[in-house]
Amino acid sequence: MMDLKRDFANRDELIAYLRDEFAEAAAVDDHVSETRGGRAAAEAQLAKLGKGKDYEASRNYVHGPVSRLSAYIRHGVLSLAEVRDAAVAKERLSEDAEKFVNELAWRDYWQRVYAEIGDGIWDDREPYKTGWDRERYADQLPDDITAGDTGLPCIDAFVRALYETGYLHHHVRMWLAAYVVHWRRVKWQAGARWFLSHLIDGDPASNNLSWQWVASTFSAKPYVFNRENLEKYTEGEYCKECPLYGRCDFEGSYERQQRRLFPNADPSVFGGEDRRSFGRGRGRGRR
Amino acid sequence: MTLERTVVWVHRDDLSPLSPALVSHPDAPAIFVFDDELLREWKISFKRIVFIYECLLELPVTIRRGDSVSEVTDFAAKHGSNRIVTSSSPSPRHAQIVSQIAQRSEGRLSVDIIERTPFVHAPRKLDLRRFTYYWNAVKDNVLGS
Ligand SMILES: Cc1cc2nc3c(=O)[nH]c(=O)nc-3n(C[C@H](O)[C@H](O)[C@H](O)COP(=O)(O)OP(=O)(O)OC[C@H]3O[C@@H](n4cnc5c(N)ncnc54)[C@H](O)[C@@H]3O)c2cc1C
Repeated sequence: MMDLKRDFANRDELIAYLRDEFAEAAAVDDHVSETRGGRAAAEAQLAKLGKGKDYEASRNYVHGPVSRLSAYIRHGVLSLAEVRDAAVAKERLSEDAEKFVNELAWRDYWQRVYAEIGDGIWDDREPYKTGWDRERYADQLPDDITAGDTGLPCIDAFVRALYETGYLHHHVRMWLAAYVVHWRRVKWQAGARWFLSHLIDGDPASNNLSWQWVASTFSAKPYVFNRENLEKYTEGEYCKECPLYGRCDFEGSYERQQRRLFPNADPSVFGGEDRRSFGRGRGRGRR
Repeated sequence: MTLERTVVWVHRDDLSPLSPALVSHPDAPAIFVFDDELLREWKISFKRIVFIYECLLELPVTIRRGDSVSEVTDFAAKHGSNRIVTSSSPSPRHAQIVSQIAQRSEGRLSVDIIERTPFVHAPRKLDLRRFTYYWNAVKDNVLGS
């Protein structure tokens, strides 16, 4: 096998070369991400890291001050330890970095689980708590989802962003995953494979175990959302001019979503504090 | 003069110039392989390939495409090497490649795995059933408080 080329005059030349060398992948989707690879780009992004308290207050907003370091961390371009050190060094009190460091810890946690269970990350860790057996979930993603043609402007925009940029904000990943698994009743594995193909930070552990968290096969209850929640954290970007406003699939309270989506679920699953959801001040944060 | 000649195998969990495998062997030839089976199995999209390639261009590595076991073995042979150094990964596929390299070379090649900088030194065996248990056990160490 020949060595692949290393010298390029510029990015365009590199991309043209790779379109030839990896023609099969480019034939499926030949978008290039704005996120550039390499240590220099990673350090530039790390230098933009904001204050911990701002992160804590606004990270749930789609345009909030998140770090966008995931692709570098996933590929070891930056270690979790050095990102943590950089975050703590910005603060007078190290506690002010706690929320951000806690999110970094999620990655460390998933990696440790992965080291323990290996390919077991592809199996349901626990049964679904949705009142539906796994057989009731489809094996494949419906075409309208993968084509970004569901007719729901928010969902279709998220799918386009996945293809075009390879990055989705955490909240968007949760909404899209919940839509796939709960509104369309598709096995989380199908969605996880789809994300892994496109996310620049695609990581079997963080991705699969997060999908399982949304699905309820690695959490106490399924994650759902409603229009109000999506509208708030996208600052109305999709809802404002949506022709489906007031009658879309996500309208109504959390209780309504749960009754509609999980009529057979054990009611204790949604009991008490657990009824509240991400972004609405659930005590434990978004997980 | 050391009799041991080392090559470094860089994989996609550790694409930093500060990778412990690279840093500890600055003069050893290094290789990265785009594994065909992996690309196919995971349907790795073109944009991910571009990102990884851009990372590689900042590393002192030979870039190949094919089967990881064959390419790494072949690279070691070409450099008259009997020792491969790589950094750790939780991926079962990584472990598989390591053991196949040793097997296929019938013991002529040894593979040493270097641990990457841990995020936290765990005080004891961690309970991983839920994140909260893990976090409560490591929190103070992680924040350095
Ligand atoms: C369905 C779903 C799939 C996901 N798939 C992936 C994936 O393939 N790869 C991936 O790295 N993350 C994944 N995540 C976790 C998380 O969404 C991303 O890490 C985060 O959105 C990346 O953006 P950021 O770097 O701006 O994050 P920030 O909020 O700035 O966080 C900083 C870093 O902490 C880590 N991190 C933050 N939140 C999480 C989390 N919940 N789980 C694991 N690590 C976290 C990441 O390394 C991230 O770069 C997934 C989440 C969901 C809900």
